[in-house]
Amino acid sequence: MSLRGWAAGAAGAAAVAAALALVVVATAQRHYEGAFAFRMAGTTAAYIAAVTPPPPPPPPPPAPRAPRGRRRTRPPPPPPAPPPPPPLSLPAARSYDLPSLLTQARALRTLPGWSSDVEVYFGTAPLVDATAPPLSPEDLSRLDAGGHWLAGAALVPLRDRDGQEVVGAVAVRPRPAPHGPLPGGLGFAFPVALLAVAAAAVTAFRERSLRGGSYVGAALLLALATYFDVWTAARQSTDRWLIDTRRLLQEAATRLPPPRTRVAITELAGLVRDGEIVAGEPAESAPRRVRVDGERRAVVAVLIGSQRWIELRSVPAEIEAPGWLLLLLPCAFLGPIAIIGLRWAERTPAWRRHETAMAWGFLAPAAIHLAIFTIGPAIYAIYLASLANFPALVRDPLTWNAFANTAAYALYVPVSVTLALAGALAVHRFRTHWRGRVLSALFLLPYVGSVVAIALLWQAMYRAGSLGMGRPDWLSNPGTALPALMLVSIWAHVGGQMLVFLSGLQAIPQAYFDAARVDGGSAWRRFWRVTMPLLRPVTWFVLVTGVIGALQMFTLVFVLTAGGPFPPHSTDVVVHRIYRTAFGPQAFGMASALAVMLAALLLIFRWPQLTLSRRQAGHA
Amino acid sequence: MASVTLRRLSKVFDGGRQALHELDLDVRDGELLVLLGPSGSGKTTVLRCIAGLEEPSAGDVVIGERVVTHDSPAARDVAMVFQTPALYPHLSVRENIAFPLELRGVAEAQVAERVVEAAARLGLEQVLDRLPAQLSEGERQRAALGRAIVRGPQAFLFDEPLSRLDAKLRVELRGELLALHRALGATMIYVTHDQTEAMTMGQRIAVLHEGRLRQIGTPEEVYQRPADVHVARFVGTPGMNVLQGRGRGTGDEDRVIQAGSLVIPVELSTYEGELQVGIRPEIVGLCAVDKGVGNADVLVVEPLGSETLVHLNAGGQPLVARLPGFAEVRVGTRVGVKVDRRRLYLFDAAGAPLG
Repeated sequence: MSLRGWAAGAAGAAAVAAALALVVVATAQRHYEGAFAFRMAGTTAAYIAAVTPPPPPPPPPPAPRAPRGRRRTRPPPPPPAPPPPPPLSLPAARSYDLPSLLTQARALRTLPGWSSDVEVYFGTAPLVDATAPPLSPEDLSRLDAGGHWLAGAALVPLRDRDGQEVVGAVAVRPRPAPHGPLPGGLGFAFPVALLAVAAAAVTAFRERSLRGGSYVGAALLLALATYFDVWTAARQSTDRWLIDTRRLLQEAATRLPPPRTRVAITELAGLVRDGEIVAGEPAESAPRRVRVDGERRAVVAVLIGSQRWIELRSVPAEIEAPGWLLLLLPCAFLGPIAIIGLRWAERTPAWRRHETAMAWGFLAPAAIHLAIFTIGPAIYAIYLASLANFPALVRDPLTWNAFANTAAYALYVPVSVTLALAGALAVHRFRTHWRGRVLSALFLLPYVGSVVAIALLWQAMYRAGSLGMGRPDWLSNPGTALPALMLVSIWAHVGGQMLVFLSGLQAIPQAYFDAARVDGGSAWRRFWRVTMPLLRPVTWFVLVTGVIGALQMFTLVFVLTAGGPFPPHSTDVVVHRIYRTAFGPQAFGMASALAVMLAALLLIFRWPQLTLSRRQAGHA
Repeated sequence: MASVTLRRLSKVFDGGRQALHELDLDVRDGELLVLLGPSGSGKTTVLRCIAGLEEPSAGDVVIGERVVTHDSPAARDVAMVFQTPALYPHLSVRENIAFPLELRGVAEAQVAERVVEAAARLGLEQVLDRLPAQLSEGERQRAALGRAIVRGPQAFLFDEPLSRLDAKLRVELRGELLALHRALGATMIYVTHDQTEAMTMGQRIAVLHEGRLRQIGTPEEVYQRPADVHVARFVGTPGMNVLQGRGRGTGDEDRVIQAGSLVIPVELSTYEGELQVGIRPEIVGLCAVDKGVGNADVLVVEPLGSETLVHLNAGGQPLVARLPGFAEVRVGTRVGVKVDRRRLYLFDAAGAPLG
């Protein structure tokens, strides 16, 4: 590849990467704008349904004719061909009073501070802007399945008073909002993308090396800027909804029939199904972010009468924004990766290029799996954990109980390792003899069994009288439940550990043992002076992996005790606590924080294991 | 120091394979005896039986005056050096050499003194505090030797200790081992499959084949008067050519042995029928076609500098000739073969020597 060709390729790759990142940003902005519009439309529909009274009871026998007659009497010219509203078959009490509906819909247009255009359809006829084209009957019938996007507006169904049939629709067309803090409402992404492409072009044409780091830096900046724009769009969508809904709530407080002085908060709460309304305190009108029971919420204070404040709460959309990083990061780093790839390809002979491509092809399934199911969730958990959860965790006695239980439980490891070593020595001693084979089979049998099956087996044994010793069921006694679990674990794990010891013993050249036997000394002495030192790396490995496994134990507790017996939570280990926190009260932030704490602890134990595997250079 | 005697020693392994058949062997006090044999001949099993690492199925092991057949290895007071140095990787050279003394509970001051003495004998003073991984191959095997001599045992057992070293180091250590033997006057049993080692080191050589002792004698005896065809084939580099043949003819004039494409006139008066002819490579010469005792095809030529080995096909039977210097022989050509008739070995069909 020629120099210029290479540089052009690199710059092109950077440009494509930047463009892709911008496309992602634009998509995200549209996504959040749409999300806002649908949400707002839903709230508006609920508002209209609540504030519009039913048609006045009898006088004229054909009730549905009433709306039609009245419309004709209105001074403005009638709509070109207003199809009659379809819900003729509705019982009158479930429908809406058309004049009121018209008034309410029109009032929305004049609502100060609203950031969207709204249209209300009765049947297929637009009420606010009567000259606008009506809905097609298909659009209306599609609404039964939920809202959809129609000509730049979010269209959601307006149902009858019982929420049964679709009698009309509410369309919300958000007015374009500026997408960023830069002059002209521009986000950061666009200028930074230009910068990144320029940096790539300079790098490619002048330096031909990424060592300067300017392009990598620009790519990082691009990732940050695009993410910031997406995050802003998400935050804006929540804020817009809060602000517009606040106006709607204030309006509702005065309009909810029948007229009264105090509107119950519960009635208002019925309007916002995807938010919360609680009694509030005076506060400024801008939306804020607060923490409610450890979860983040976007809130705004609403004044609904003299000295009556409520607080409108919503889950902030930006907590989901990190998901976009999955798209943004690859886009941003596509440029540097492409440049590195091009440079590599330029320097590498064709056969190696081919081999490397093959290797990555083989690696790809595992790597993708790892990225999606391990690395991605891990990063997400770290994000969810957020620092604010840790003080609460530290204060929670159940956290410390879980760690203490886990530490106590891990004490089974030295016992099982000792047993495993003894077993391995015995099997090794008789390895050519049938006795050795029987022994190793006995040890390995539990190892190949499913943990759940083992757990159930032991549960039956404990229930049947705890091996004939002591009080009836060790599992239901707070003092013995954890030791009972440890006993099961020893039984289940000793076989696997023995297998590792056995292969460790078999890896030691026989000459060491022979030399020691000829040199003299008792078997006990030879074991401590020769066998143990030679087995030390294996022992460490078994011990460390055993402890790590013990710290991550879940299945036995889940199957056998569910963390109980309960007053003291005797067997509630850390992973089980994580599970309980996440799937009991749905406190994923807390659960993630606990998981991060456990991961940090595990890392401490992994360290010696890693250095150990590097040191295992083999025997001299 | 003590003698080592084996009486009708047999060993049958768990799988049913018989490794040793009623072996009798007498190693004199202070002697360096080499156990020579191809792999699988049972020589290492003999050594392990003497050390106590294997229990013989029958027969006795006697060290000095004591029958030790069922004693533990430690109780026999022998030292063994293995094919691999088997130095404990977690101990320094000093600790490795001191190890047998320490296991036996020798006083610390005495241990230190004897370790230094052994190290001095082997030139290991400089590396005493290193770990085995930091030593050269030669130093490692010397340290293993040190671990053996530090105890002053009744007998030394060597199990191919030099086979893993490169050729130059092997020659060097061979000399050192011989010097050590002279200096200590110790009984040594040395197992090897290497002709040169056996010939240069052994005061006597015991040749094993398929678990049986075939011959025991000085290197010269074993080379000059092989007890059977197996010994003949195995001793010497390369080993003796053994051709299957027939003796025929009746009159004094026409007695010949026909083996492959060779027809060798012999002075043997009584034999007729199937037999085996042993021809050392050095008595085979090449000549023009039809001028010798037969013709053969040249298969491979190996020029070694001081000599050239020519592998021949003599009527379907392999024959190696060892010619001095660089021989002008082309692969694929046919040549005539000469032999020195006075130096032939004749064996009967079963392998026992004739004449």
